[in-house]
Order: sequence, then C-alpha cells, then structure tokens
Amino acid sequence: MTELLATYDASSVNAALLTSSVLFGIGLVGFLSRRNMIVMFLCTELMFQGAALAMIAFGRVHGNPDGQTFVIFILTIAAAEAALALGLVVLLYRRRETLDSEAWSELKEC
Amino acid sequence: MDPTTAKLTLIAPEMVLCFGAVVVAVLGLMQNASLRRSVPLISALFLALSVVACTWSYSTDAAESSGLLLPYLGSFAKPLIACIAILLVMIGGTAVDRRLEAAFDSGRVPFEAVRVLRGEFHAFMLLSVAGTMLIASATDLIWLFLALELSSLPSYVMVAVGRHARKAQEAGVKYFFLGAMSSAVFLYGFALLYGATGTLQCTEMAEVLSRQAAEGGISTLAIVGAVMAILGVSFKLAAVPMHFYAPDVYEGASGPVTAFLGFGPKVAGILALILLLSMLGWSGHAAVLNGQEVKLQGLPAPIAAMLWMMSVLTMTLGNIGALLQRNVKRMLGYSSIAHSGYLMMGLLAGPEAGLDAVLFYLVGYGVMNTVVLAVLCALERNGEEVETLEDIAGLRHRQPLLAWTLALAAASLVGLPPMIGFFGKIYLFTAVLEQGQTALVIIAAVNSAVSVFYYMQLVVLPMLAQSNPRSETVTAVQSPWPKFAAVIGGVSIIALAIFAQPVFEAAQRAFRAPSVVAASTDADASKVTHTITLDR
Repeated sequence: MTELLATYDASSVNAALLTSSVLFGIGLVGFLSRRNMIVMFLCTELMFQGAALAMIAFGRVHGNPDGQTFVIFILTIAAAEAALALGLVVLLYRRRETLDSEAWSELKEC
Repeated sequence: MDPTTAKLTLIAPEMVLCFGAVVVAVLGLMQNASLRRSVPLISALFLALSVVACTWSYSTDAAESSGLLLPYLGSFAKPLIACIAILLVMIGGTAVDRRLEAAFDSGRVPFEAVRVLRGEFHAFMLLSVAGTMLIASATDLIWLFLALELSSLPSYVMVAVGRHARKAQEAGVKYFFLGAMSSAVFLYGFALLYGATGTLQCTEMAEVLSRQAAEGGISTLAIVGAVMAILGVSFKLAAVPMHFYAPDVYEGASGPVTAFLGFGPKVAGILALILLLSMLGWSGHAAVLNGQEVKLQGLPAPIAAMLWMMSVLTMTLGNIGALLQRNVKRMLGYSSIAHSGYLMMGLLAGPEAGLDAVLFYLVGYGVMNTVVLAVLCALERNGEEVETLEDIAGLRHRQPLLAWTLALAAASLVGLPPMIGFFGKIYLFTAVLEQGQTALVIIAAVNSAVSVFYYMQLVVLPMLAQSNPRSETVTAVQSPWPKFAAVIGGVSIIALAIFAQPVFEAAQRAFRAPSVVAASTDADASKVTHTITLDR
C-alpha cells in the first residue's frame, strides 16, 4: 500500500492540484457574484470539493493516507451542511416565494 | 497512561455534553409539560457536570501523556466555556417557545411535538459548546476541522429558529452562507499546510515547520496555507476582513442567541488561532540544529504583518461602526468586532506573556457581554424584545437593579478601574508592550478611548436620562431567570476583579509545556518553551 502511494506521477499530481485550485476559485467567485441561494450554496460545495481534491493530491505526494482520511470527514461535513442549507432555503422560500438573496435585506446599516 | 486513553480522558466533558444533548432533545418532545419545562434545568445540570468532568480529567496525568501541542489549554478554556454557557441557559432557557407553551397551557392549541423547539434549541447549544471545547484538545487538523464545524453548524440553526421573525431567518441564512464559505477557506488552508508538511498531526507539523524555519524559512506553500487558515478562522472571531456579518446577525438573532454568538464562536476562533499559530512557531520556540540550539525568529514575517494589520483594522472598524448605532444589539455586534481586535493583538504578542492575557481577557469579555444581553433579555416591550437605546432610557425609575447592572457591565467594557474589564485590558496591554509593539498599544489605547463614547450611552441613558413614551412601556419579563443571570454576572464582574490574580495564574498554567511540569517551581516553567530536536 505505502509503495503504491509512494510512486506517483508528478504531472498527474500537478494536474490534480491545478484542478483543485480552479474548483476553489470558481466556487469563490461564484459565491461572491451569484444571487440565487441554491447556486451560492453549490459554490461553497465546489470550494469544499476543491479542498478535498487538494488533500488527495498532497496525500499522493507525501505517500501517506492522512489526506485521504481527511476527505472522508470533509464529505461528511459537506453532507451535514447540505442538509442544513436546504432546510434554511426552504424556510426562506416559504416566507418570500423567491430564492433571490437580494430579496432579504431587512438587516443593514441604517 | 497511553496517548489514546489520555485523549479520551481529556474529552470527558465533551462526552458528557453530547450525552446531555441527546437527553435534552428527547425530553423537549415529551407530551408532559413539566418534563418539557425541565429542559433548561437539565441542560444547565449537564453543563455543570461537564465542569466536574473537566476538573477530573485534568487532575489525572492525562494531559501530560496525551502528546498534545498545548496540553493544558483546555484546563482553563473548558470550564470557562461551560460556566458562561450556564449563564446563557439561564438567559435563554425560558425564552424559546414561550408563546407556544402559553398556547398549549391555555388549551387553545393541542400539543404537537413537531412544533416544539425547546429541546432542539438546548441540544444544539450543548453540541456547539462541546465543539468549542473540543478545539482546545485538538491533536490534528482533522480534529480541529470537525470541532470547528461542530461548534458552528448548531449555531446557524440557533440563529434561524431562535425567534419567529423574518429578521432571525435572514440572519440565520446570512450567517450560514458566510460561515460555509469561510470554512471552505480554512479547509483549503489546511490542505496547503498538509501539502507543505506532509502531516496532519499538530505536534509533527510544528516540528516540521520549525525545522523549515531553522533551515532558512518556512516554505511559501505553508505560509499561503496558514494565511488562508487564519482568514477562514477569523470569521468565527468576526475579525476584519470576515467581520461584516456580525452586526446584521447580532441584530437579527434573538437576544439569548446574540449572547451566545458573542461568546461561543469567539472562544472557538481564539482557541483555533492559538493552535494554528503555535504550529507556526511563536517566539518561545527553539530548534536544535546540529547539536546547537537555534532560537527561532517567532512568527514568520508575513503572518505577523497580517495579524498586525488585521488587529488594527478590526479594532478600528469595530469601534467606529459602534459609534453610529442606535440599536443596542447592533452596537454590541460592532463592539464584539472591536474586542476581537484587542484579542488578536494579544495573539501577536505570543506565548511569552500574551496568551494568558488573551484567555484572561476572554473571561472578562464573556461575562460583560453576557450581562449586557441578559439585561436586554430581562426586559420586554409589548411582548417584543428591547433593542434600541430609546427603550432603555430612564430604566432606573422602573428597574433599578437591572439599570445598575447594565451600567456596571458597560463601565467594565470601557475598562474602568475596579472592574474585570480594567484588569483584562491592563494585562493585555502590558503583555503587548513587553513584546515591543508600542505602536499597536497606542492604537489600541486610542480605540479604547473612542469606545467610551458608545459604552457611556449604556451607562448614561438608563441611569440619568428621562424616560420617554417609548421606554415607559418597557416592563420586566415574567421569568425571573434572565434577571438572575444578569445579577450573577454583575456580581462576578466585581468578584473576578477582586480575584484577578488567581484567575490570571490559572490562565498562565494553561500554557505550561508538558515537559517542564516537574520543574514548575521555576518561574519560567509556566511559559511555553518547545525545544525540538532535529535529526539530520
């Protein structure tokens, strides 16, 4: 197992790291620019998956299973957050019949 | 004691709280009204039990053999969190579901378990407290990540369900989305730290990073990772640039939840930052290179510069923002931002003297903030929460005890002498001054002076101002508990100032290194001095 992990292809690891940073970047930009709450939530999920991919790639580089172990926990937390997010979004949708985050702006600097 | 048993012993208080959360969640759904009403009492009991579990677990040799980076951190942080949480339960225990319970009592509405929230609310609170405590005994980044999430996920729900108002739901969603984004940011930071060091264990990571520092500098990957991790965690602290949610969420959430948000996440963020910065190597660290001890420079320059900037911006923006507010909860949101700035200043001072001052400051801040909100929660106006400055004008004529307590807490938040806030600031400012950060202390002192303007409104309005038509309709809530909590808090603001020295010494003990416990008679033994041997 450790031997298998230790021999890695540098270019594929680089590609994975690049993909992970792109995923994270798209997620961040999307989160800041989109107004639909479900899309905003999907963007945070993208950021999480970017981090997870980076964990796997770095685990490959270092040849230890720590990174992959972390990913299992990331998935669990992402699932918990998804449950919470959808619950909250449904709650808000029932009140206003819209998913636009701009419709909710009672709380602001007066 | 082997490390696994030791770690399990150390998380005994958290286990008590998780068990308590299950008990409370079930009890809250009972058809029997008196069982349902016992929920706040039971959760307070479990919190008290966790303090006992805490004293027990740190009285064994578990901390010493656990191999944690900061093994005694929890011995101070965990009882502190639990004690403040008991006050918070007293404030909020009866507020949740108050109207629903009244409707059940009158028999107008038949009992429906689906509509009852009290059990869940307290269960979530206990879970969030357990998550905050777990951060103090984190051994690796996985643990730290899970603990941070356990402390924040329940708090999102608490904000959204704390009261039946559109504002609360808006606040909940805002808090949740920004929280999820910030946790993705620190998660990516953790991934980069792992990439730079090849380990997730805190102790091993500290070792690898100090080796890198001794051999010519920490790698850029680790620096970028640390920057992202600190930025992500600073959301919990409400520090610049992750501060903008705080005023909105504090205003939207119900009073008891605001009191919780002012304390729980702040402690969680500070503990996580302490852990992360200890891995990066504070000035106390030294590495042995080729048989010679090399004193490390302390925090890497980019990190130190970032913390400096964040601290200054956080306290300044917080204080300026608070000056403009008419809503007390919103003002407290900004004031909590400002206090985060002071706390980060202590983090920058490092483990030599800064960290014990930071923990001590947290005690004071926790009590004072809780007291101000307890006073607000003890009042109501036509069944609505009391929020604006107009509402508390002339409070002395109707509720003298609450008015005095509010004035006391506000004066202590300013840092006036006989109170705990004064000692907190003194310890913190001297610690930072000793580290040669004179500019930072001057900025902080100017900021404290600015904060007098808005805190004094909380003293002057209830004590000296005339009542207005709006504030004349303000009455005390039916339940005596919030008032009781306010008085207990008010007494401890004075009591903690009298016993400031022993509390400060307890905070110092939280940072003694495991290897020097035997020589604890030595004055320096209480300071963190990691010496890491490098095999070459």
